[in-house]
Amino acid sequence: MAQQQDWNALSDEEFRAIFAEWVDANCPAELRFMRKQRPLFDEVSVWYHRLAEKGWLSPVWPQEYGGMGLDAGKHIVYVEEWARLGCPRIPDHGIGLTGPLLIQYGTQAQKDFFLPKILSGEHVWCQGYSEPNAGSDLASLRTSAVADGDGFIVNGQKIWTTLAHCANWILLLVRTSNDGKKRQNGITVMLVDMTTPGVTVRPIPNLRLEADFCEVFFDNVYVPSENVVGEVDQGWALAKAVLGHERIFLGAPSRPAYALRRLERLARDRGAFSDAGFVSRYARLRLDLFDLGSAFERFARVLRAGGTLGPDVSVLKIFSSELYQRITEETLSVAGEEARYWDDLPTGEGDVDAMNLYLDSRAPAIFGGSNEIQREVLAKGVLGLPR
Amino acid sequence: MNGLILDDPDGTLEMLRDSVVGFSARHAGPDVFRARRDNGGDLDREVWSAMAEAGWLGLLLPEDKGGAGLGIAEQAVLSEALGRALLTEPLAQLSIFSSVLLSHCSGGECARLAEGLIAGTALVSPAWQGRDGAAAPVSARKVGEEFSLSGEMRHVSAPTSATDFIVLAEADGKQMLVSLPVSAEGLRIETAPTLDGTRLGRLSLADVKVKEDALLAIGSEVDVAMDAAVTTTRLALAAEMAGIATAAIERTVAYAKERVQFGKAIGSFQVVQHRLVDMWGEAEFASAAVVNAVETLSEGQNNASRLAILAAKARAGEAAVNITRRAIHLHGAMGFTDACDIGLFMKRAVALNATLGQPEELRLQFVALEGVAA
Ligand SMILES: Cc1cc2nc3c(=O)[nH]c(=O)nc-3n(C[C@H](O)[C@H](O)[C@H](O)COP(=O)(O)OP(=O)(O)OC[C@H]3O[C@@H](n4cnc5c(N)ncnc54)[C@H](O)[C@@H]3O)c2cc1C
Repeated sequence: MAQQQDWNALSDEEFRAIFAEWVDANCPAELRFMRKQRPLFDEVSVWYHRLAEKGWLSPVWPQEYGGMGLDAGKHIVYVEEWARLGCPRIPDHGIGLTGPLLIQYGTQAQKDFFLPKILSGEHVWCQGYSEPNAGSDLASLRTSAVADGDGFIVNGQKIWTTLAHCANWILLLVRTSNDGKKRQNGITVMLVDMTTPGVTVRPIPNLRLEADFCEVFFDNVYVPSENVVGEVDQGWALAKAVLGHERIFLGAPSRPAYALRRLERLARDRGAFSDAGFVSRYARLRLDLFDLGSAFERFARVLRAGGTLGPDVSVLKIFSSELYQRITEETLSVAGEEARYWDDLPTGEGDVDAMNLYLDSRAPAIFGGSNEIQREVLAKGVLGLPR
Repeated sequence: MNGLILDDPDGTLEMLRDSVVGFSARHAGPDVFRARRDNGGDLDREVWSAMAEAGWLGLLLPEDKGGAGLGIAEQAVLSEALGRALLTEPLAQLSIFSSVLLSHCSGGECARLAEGLIAGTALVSPAWQGRDGAAAPVSARKVGEEFSLSGEMRHVSAPTSATDFIVLAEADGKQMLVSLPVSAEGLRIETAPTLDGTRLGRLSLADVKVKEDALLAIGSEVDVAMDAAVTTTRLALAAEMAGIATAAIERTVAYAKERVQFGKAIGSFQVVQHRLVDMWGEAEFASAAVVNAVETLSEGQNNASRLAILAAKARAGEAAVNITRRAIHLHGAMGFTDACDIGLFMKRAVALNATLGQPEELRLQFVALEGVAA
């Protein structure tokens, strides 16, 4: 494993240059700007392992656990360069979710066992929170874990579990008690080996006819007690706390930025820039993206100064996901009579995945807390409106 | 949700609606859609034959061509009902567009095509567009007793299932419509999948020979035929999209009543209610625009009917696309799956909206025709 250094001592520019140079030289060309938003582990494992060898797989984990130990400001640079260079998304629930959770709340034994296996790619994680009847209202989840000897027996169903079909471990929210006054009490976080008997995974084809997410069934699945994270019945707070500064990335400009590049490509090829009506609409989208950058920076600055994000950061996620939709909708207008085809549209500068983006852009307004839920957060948490 | 409200003194329209409901109980639109898509098909033969049997093909062909001689109101009601039931066979192109063209043609070949079209034995697909959707006739050359055709056509419906194409061609500045059998030598067909689970073709004609008697129409008659075909098909598409819009709002209201989060139906949240009301309003406006266009066209094809049809297709297209994409959102992650029918409605709406002119293009044509903005 490569020698780490104190990255946070560098200026953002210095770090950006070092990071970008290596990424550009090492991220395989055929994986750049992938059409697929959510490649499977095997499709991107080369890149995963290269990052792991370099010691750059896990930007935020402290260096003692094999991470780069980046502060939020440097993490933003990392994510920005990643997007700018078109690196593919890797199955990152272990890096972004399980790892930080264990570093903060795990036992020494859990850290020693799990963290290295995330870095090596031996364990690929997925996030088992949502259930058929617990989506926006996650606290109503019902998958149950009942104490049994030195462990628990889990029964129930998770759904919309992204990449569960290429994961071998799942971070599970389960109900261990119904006694609490608030429904949030009685929820426990568990680390579950998906190869345990009784776990069944069924992929669900999405609008793009890709199986990015799955149903996961638990039929009398035994989970040892040492795989509980934190206290039994006290998991809700942990699950919420782990999404600290990372919430800023839900509103990152990268998806709309990618979509705008594709709109520009199609518009140039189809002559749309000579249409004043289009230029006017394009200009609005362009400046919306530009201003999203400014708004993102407003929150990034808080993080760089060592601050923490408030509920107001939700405004980025709403704006970014809706801008992404507006851009893909405009792209279909430019496609004109061709906005009926499933396949990418050819142009002189390469293909434009107009339909792929249009369909994909339906999702970010739904996941990670739907935009209605985000607006609720803003209304109550920022404007202090009455319940 | 009323959909199209049209005068129906003898109950013909109601019977048509009922017959589509009965039909879709035997051929469920969403199932046929998925099966056809998954098989890489461009048309479901069994459904098509059943449609012929139901008397839905060539509805607009005049009686002297063997047709039912029914009017645009009947066609609009049928198209609306197909939209509601998500029956997605390429009726707009293979029945409506081709019928209107054939109504303006004469001769033995025209009669053969019309007869086959009605019976469902001939699948007659119009081939006339370039990539941008505008008319792009192939070039024709008279060689002895034959024509030689060369060029390329895009966006051709049912390219694999078609038995015959009606090709728009041009010779010495004169447009013509030519009947071209799928087996013609020198005809190459490439196909590509569409969003709505069918396929469109790209026809390449390299010195394709057709006999003189394949000529269906020539000269100014072609302009009239093409204009009528585009206009009528646009209206039928508008009706179909109004049907999709109505079905999508109905389903989403039903889902919002049923889906419980935070201990309540999501339809009890004011934000969701207001959004549903806006969607409903858009669907009502779409239906109103289509009815207006039907009634205006029933009085004759003129400037007023042109305006009304442009408005109807723009309004219904935008409504269908807007309503279905918001419907997906209100279905949450479920709406993002292929298993949920609401996504198929969205895909069909987007595809029909892109057919024969998107809303902005139609609105620009409207104001140009009115002349005020000129
Ligand atoms: C692509 C994708 C990937 C996902 N990956 C994962 C994953 O890896 N792991 C995981 O656990 N989950 C995952 N999810 C699930 C995601 O977290 C849920 O979809 C989300 O929480 C919404 O829940 P729901 O789909 O059940 O919609 P519902 O909660 O049923 O919402 C339906 C509609 O009602 C609206 N609504 C709900 N409550 C209110 C309210 N109070 N006020 C106003 N409107 C309201 C919503 O905004 C939405 O439009 C994923 C989802 C998607 C689409």
